[in-house]
Amino acid sequence: MSPLHLSFCSAFVLSGLGLAFHRTHLVSALLCLESMMLSMFVGLTMWPIENQTPSFTMVPIIMLTFSACEAGTGLAILVASTRTHGSDHLHNLSLLQC
Amino acid sequence: MTYFVFFLGVCFVLGILGVASNPSPYYGVVGLVLASVAGCGWLLSLGVSFVALVLFMVYLGGMLVVFVYSVALAAEPFPEAWGDWRVLGYVVALVVVVLGGLVLGGFVGSWGFGVNTVDSVGMFVVRLDFSGVAMLYSRGVGMFLIAGWGLLLTLFVVLELVRGLSRGAIRAV
Repeated sequence: MSPLHLSFCSAFVLSGLGLAFHRTHLVSALLCLESMMLSMFVGLTMWPIENQTPSFTMVPIIMLTFSACEAGTGLAILVASTRTHGSDHLHNLSLLQC
Repeated sequence: MTYFVFFLGVCFVLGILGVASNPSPYYGVVGLVLASVAGCGWLLSLGVSFVALVLFMVYLGGMLVVFVYSVALAAEPFPEAWGDWRVLGYVVALVVVVLGGLVLGGFVGSWGFGVNTVDSVGMFVVRLDFSGVAMLYSRGVGMFLIAGWGLLLTLFVVLELVRGLSRGAIRAV
């Protein structure tokens, strides 16, 4: 494992752990998802660089398109839940309270 | 050059750690911008300049929108920066978990400093990332259409989610 592989793998694990721990705001959970997408983008771009494969460079672009879809949907959920619940704190969204 | 790229990788991990350590969303956006700038420089140093440019433009545009949302919806009177004790506790816990995973997984002894790059061989030869991304419009037209259809679907999903409090997908109960 070279240090660059260690960089994006540990970045992915860090942002996944940050998403799994307790977040105060829904925005920061969305930011963790964005950073997972960022580390996946860098990792997918390292692959054609190391194998000198031109046709694989379209894969991170396609993944960036779908991450844009995810970000747009997440922000729409953020707006909708802020309208219904009054703030974007995640403890408002717990299913265990009535 | 190897150490420069490794330095950018360290900046990338630090930016991601600044996002993941649960500060206020203002500072989280700053950490994500730092990570995207470092990742853009990293890919640019390895030679794929077009993909790095796409990453920089898309991420900074997207982060501008997210920053406006966080200012508008998550405003706090006392935002928590990285110097607070709770955020520092998150930093320590995350670093301990990742380092423990590295030690337990046996990744520590097997270092290597091999870094591959993409070299340009002149202005008359199309480089790897330019030709690969251009191939999205010829060979990869199926995925191109699927991605465009996904973006169109996302438009209607967003419109349906934010339609209103009485009609849309999320309603006030």
